[in-house]
Amino acid sequence: MPDSTPVDRAALFDRRFMLVTGKGGVGKSTVTAILGLLSARAGARTLICELDAHERIAPMLGHPPVGGEVTEIEENLSVVDIRPSMAMEEYALMKLRFRALYRLVFENPLVESLVRFVPGVNDLLMLGKAFNHERETDDAGRPVWDRVIIDAPATGHGITFFRLPKIIRDAVPAGNMHREAADMWALLTDPRRTAVHLVSLPEELPVQETRELHARLADDLGIPLGALVINMLPERPFEGPLAEAFDGVDEPGDPRLRRLWTAARIRAGRAANAEQHARALREMGLPTIELPQRPARALDRAAIDALAERFATQVSDPGTSDDPARQGGR
Amino acid sequence: MNLPFDAELRRARLLVTAGSGGVGKTTTAAAMAVRAASFGRRAAVLTIDPARRLADALGLGELTGELRRVEPSRFADAGLDAAGELWAMMLDVKTTGDQMVRRFAPDAEAARAILDNRYYQYFSTSLAGAQEYVAIEQVRALIDEGGFDLVVLDTPPAAHAIDFLDAPDRLVSGLGSRPVQMLRAKEDGGLASRLARSGRGLVLKGLNKLTGGPFIEELTRFLTVFGSILDALKVSGEAVKARLRADDTRFFLVTSPTRSNVDEAMAFRRQLAERDFPLGGVILNRTHAPLAPVPDGPGTRAELDAALVEAGLDGLPSAERARLLDGLYESLARHNRLADADMQAAELLERATGHRPWRIPLFAHPIRDLADLDRVARHVQPVEA
Repeated sequence: MPDSTPVDRAALFDRRFMLVTGKGGVGKSTVTAILGLLSARAGARTLICELDAHERIAPMLGHPPVGGEVTEIEENLSVVDIRPSMAMEEYALMKLRFRALYRLVFENPLVESLVRFVPGVNDLLMLGKAFNHERETDDAGRPVWDRVIIDAPATGHGITFFRLPKIIRDAVPAGNMHREAADMWALLTDPRRTAVHLVSLPEELPVQETRELHARLADDLGIPLGALVINMLPERPFEGPLAEAFDGVDEPGDPRLRRLWTAARIRAGRAANAEQHARALREMGLPTIELPQRPARALDRAAIDALAERFATQVSDPGTSDDPARQGGR
Repeated sequence: MNLPFDAELRRARLLVTAGSGGVGKTTTAAAMAVRAASFGRRAAVLTIDPARRLADALGLGELTGELRRVEPSRFADAGLDAAGELWAMMLDVKTTGDQMVRRFAPDAEAARAILDNRYYQYFSTSLAGAQEYVAIEQVRALIDEGGFDLVVLDTPPAAHAIDFLDAPDRLVSGLGSRPVQMLRAKEDGGLASRLARSGRGLVLKGLNKLTGGPFIEELTRFLTVFGSILDALKVSGEAVKARLRADDTRFFLVTSPTRSNVDEAMAFRRQLAERDFPLGGVILNRTHAPLAPVPDGPGTRAELDAALVEAGLDGLPSAERARLLDGLYESLARHNRLADADMQAAELLERATGHRPWRIPLFAHPIRDLADLDRVARHVQPVEA
């Protein structure tokens, strides 16, 4: 399967701010978890942000759910599930400084109505909090995180999510909100700091959506893309001469052999179909990582580790620990 | 021939397919509509994000925001009865945002004022569920006013489907709520000046600090214009709420047998129940039919090796034939493992929902025409114990 040239480590790991997106159900959280593991293992202090997501990442890695607080689950790897209400309070307190003023404003019924009525507030707040983690510094002024990875919403919804800072920057003429949105947009479109990784499946709809997403993010919005992960690629039962021999027999006479043939043919058919879709994905020209379909259906820590291993073998120079983002030392 | 699932297709006026992304919801929805049309019903399928291949299969080239009829000759080509009608369209959210304004504004001038407002684009991207609302309102209008016997509605992936389906409830309760009434009240000089007076001016100051002053003032101006369509929306909202819960409305959860999709389907089912949406059943898509096992051992291996030779593989070295057999055994074992897992998923779903799931087998080749879609609908079978 991954007989192609390895993906340059820099294409994956030279940016501080990474967002992982794709159609619903393609394995965004799995890929986010893998990226987090590999980043942390390379020595980068890594924060994974889920956005009001019922917490999938920590349990997937075999840890208890972390809730709305930043929690270190493993060496160099922390996870947080950003909740809109907490993000709102945090942001407002930062700007208004006084809790009494915050309460005066936000407990005012007119304001409550206004907040409920203005769309996108929640997404903007969650994105804003993730941005704040990116620029968070410790007392000595050093960045707290070497890398922030966001498990972004599914596309469809996702494209609005990515456009939101631009929409608000353009709609709000001046002031704090304008500045915040403009800062977010600047980060989101900065190819030195940000990369959006796309996750897709070798199936028709995900391929179609990934190609559209690629065009809209890169061409329409100018958001820098990182790598493409083709997830759950089924493996063929046979390769080379064995595949030829297998294909050469139409209907074996022995009934046992017929059943064996049926099972292998279903498997081969699925793999061939997937391979066609995978080809369309590879043609997009992004650095591409391919992950196999898991034979077991449970996605536990062992399965994630195996996938992470598979992922790492497709990245050039995976053994090195001199993480570029760390060296950059922003 | 009368198949078990056909009863659902003959009875319902509105079928809603829901589930995670990538489980085959849209295909299932289209298959239901094709089969219902072949019974003589006037059916429409409305999807959120259709695959190009689905549009091709329907012979429509591309699905747009406009309702289009599938050529009756396509039914004949597929060997199906063309007794009824099949229509299809994509629920395009951007179009419906504009449509909503045009449809519910008191007059053309008011509609223009909203559409031209600089905040409209911002609002139209996520107008507190109003676009979703209009999409569902269109569904109601097709059934109650458009003369359709059956509308099959495909929803966005699970996480957003509840937002989507909640839109009428949210809208109705939102419009009647004190907050919106307050925002709209014209007395005391309107929202901006009332805000300016709250908390001795500190509230507006605080908000301005958060956002930048002109934003709040321009926003309130927009809300005043926009308010003109809210009353019309509220009236039709009640009808839409009722349509989603009518006796002849059925929700079908579609899921693939993977654990995460099954989990999501079960969570989704709880959310549907909380909202009193009528669940018709669960459809487990892409299942594997178990194959009788082939015993393994030196004796059988020798027999099978001889059978391979007989099948014409005598040119293959015997060591290679042994490797071929290894691969065949592995494929069968893998297939039956998947079939077992499918069955476990079915049992899990039955325990959680109280409905014996329906299953659709995994098809080796992709959907190309109406015959393929009809075949999917014909293969919706109860899961055998």
